[in-house]
Amino acid sequence: MILRYLARRLFLLGFVFVALTVFVFSLNYLFPGDLVSNLTGLRNITPEQHQTLQTSLGLDQSLWQQYIEYNRRLLDGNWGLSFASQQPVLQEIGRVLPATLELASYALCLSLLAGIPLGLLAAVRKDSWLDKFISGMALVGYSLPVFWLALICIMLFSLQLGWLPTSGRLGVLFEVPTQTGFIFADILLATEIDRMAAAQSAFLHLLLPTLILASYPTNVMIRFVRHSMLDVLEQNYIKTARAKGLSRPQVLYRHGLRNALLPVTRQVGLQFSTLITLAMLTEVIFSWPGIGQWLIDSIYQRNYPSIQAGLLVVSSLVICVNMLTEILHTLFNPLARKF
Amino acid sequence: MQLLDIRNLTLELETPDGIVRAVDRVNLSLREGEIRGLVGESGSGKSLIAKAIMGVLHQRWHISADRFSWCGEDLLRLPYQRQREIISRDIAMIYQEPSRSMDPTAPIGEQLAESVPDHLVEGVSWWQRGFFRRKRAINLLHKVGIRDHQSVLNSYPYQLSEGVCQKISIAMAIAKAPKLLIADEPTTALESTTQAQLFRLLASFNQLKGTSILLISHELETVARNTDTLSVLYCGQLVEAGDTAELLKNPRHHYTDALIRSVPEFQPELAFKQQLYALHGSIPTLQHLPIGCRLGPRCPNARKECVKTPQLERQQNHFYSCHFPLQRSADDE
Repeated sequence: MILRYLARRLFLLGFVFVALTVFVFSLNYLFPGDLVSNLTGLRNITPEQHQTLQTSLGLDQSLWQQYIEYNRRLLDGNWGLSFASQQPVLQEIGRVLPATLELASYALCLSLLAGIPLGLLAAVRKDSWLDKFISGMALVGYSLPVFWLALICIMLFSLQLGWLPTSGRLGVLFEVPTQTGFIFADILLATEIDRMAAAQSAFLHLLLPTLILASYPTNVMIRFVRHSMLDVLEQNYIKTARAKGLSRPQVLYRHGLRNALLPVTRQVGLQFSTLITLAMLTEVIFSWPGIGQWLIDSIYQRNYPSIQAGLLVVSSLVICVNMLTEILHTLFNPLARKF
Repeated sequence: MQLLDIRNLTLELETPDGIVRAVDRVNLSLREGEIRGLVGESGSGKSLIAKAIMGVLHQRWHISADRFSWCGEDLLRLPYQRQREIISRDIAMIYQEPSRSMDPTAPIGEQLAESVPDHLVEGVSWWQRGFFRRKRAINLLHKVGIRDHQSVLNSYPYQLSEGVCQKISIAMAIAKAPKLLIADEPTTALESTTQAQLFRLLASFNQLKGTSILLISHELETVARNTDTLSVLYCGQLVEAGDTAELLKNPRHHYTDALIRSVPEFQPELAFKQQLYALHGSIPTLQHLPIGCRLGPRCPNARKECVKTPQLERQQNHFYSCHFPLQRSADDE
């Protein structure tokens, strides 16, 4: 039963990826410029080179064959060169993606850790001043644009108070070689520096972007969890549970919590794409060397191979996370299992 | 012994159009071991009264009563905590939609086990408590006539039929051996064979354990067959109460009379294709309740005096609230 469900989900995932690669492949034709240089990322191609590349890329064959060749190159890890740096695109992505993952996952965790308890608290203490305060703050936070909030916070905490650094991932004093791309892991692996001081510096750099990025999903989470919990508390089975003689905390813990939090798993998947978009903005503002900033730079430079690759990676990430939360939701929720 | 004694229970709801009095000064009493039926059309406040007794009415409702005593203690005047303690110890309720009154995401076994009250597991060492509760749960399932306990315990409510769910909710209700079992339209979702099973089950609990039962229904014939005493509600007012047999034979209130005459089963001399008797009009909405006797506009015998709410009159065990009651039939006099 559950295996069939997983197989069906994976089948769907395959289709989504086919659609995605078709789109990205067609971008080669849609972007201005020469097809061969769009595909390979090479500049200043001589006519002889052009001829040999056309045969090696399969451009003399049908579109269908070209698409298959394109997929084969993707799987081989041959994603072309970046126009700007003439480095392999995949290598560049490997360098910038961990920074984004780091930022986004910390923000996501923070939003869950803060949003769920606050939302529950607001629901349980409905209409008290605490509920009004939390809901009010969530509404305000929900309506503030991230870039504005980021700039205000930089002005306040970095420029006026001087508590936090304005940009980057690490102080310039620390020479940490890139090994995994995740800053704390790299610091741990580095040998010739003061690790404590480096970690502290990394933490201070991370603090403001994470908080700013987390603000939107946290507020969404608070509102969602509160609403979901209030919904559940109106249900008949809560009345039954109370009539059984369970105390209020018991009712909330055994029947309220699970039913209210189940939709949250799905909500995480839905919020993830918004989170990645906001992460791009945050990265640009804080000069965070992540994939968002890299992608936006690529767009400014009309760096077509990079745009394609960035698009492919970010979309795949969002699709995979969505699918994962969907599957988790099904595993946790007996109601979703009735297929 | 008098278990439940309610005098002038009034339930009010504040709406934008003013205060709606959904239940208007209703009396209700139950002795130990009694099965009382509570009949009335939908919207007559039957379920509200049941919820008020259980203390699970929504906070928007205002409850007031001159007396709301349970075993001699006035529940409304007790602190909330004590009130919940007493109710959860002594009163249990089964609902009209059993599958919706169970947690959809918890297996049946878990829900049954938690309805075993704490005082039954006292004295059992804590590591054996889970096992003990499970054993009790299996026992309860056997009692309500479910033999295949293993698969039922591991299923979720949506996997079971309404009939099985209703049996399970009865099992949950009797887990604490309540003094009073409130059955709020327990058979609406069930087929007729399952209905019969359920009533036999309720009757056996009444006879074996002395459990009092408050049976709420809109079907007069099922209530007539299964109860000792009967209260009839109309639009939140108590119109008549008394012994079931006596009340069906000699109704004093026009509404009860109409109710009985609208059931073909009680009309042996009903001719083929003859029209059934029914009152004119339909029940008023809660926003437009008539003053005085709420049956007034529909009553065939209404007069000027009916704009004042009639007092509850008593004739031995028979209560009725009507200014102009029906006279007893000639052979009875």
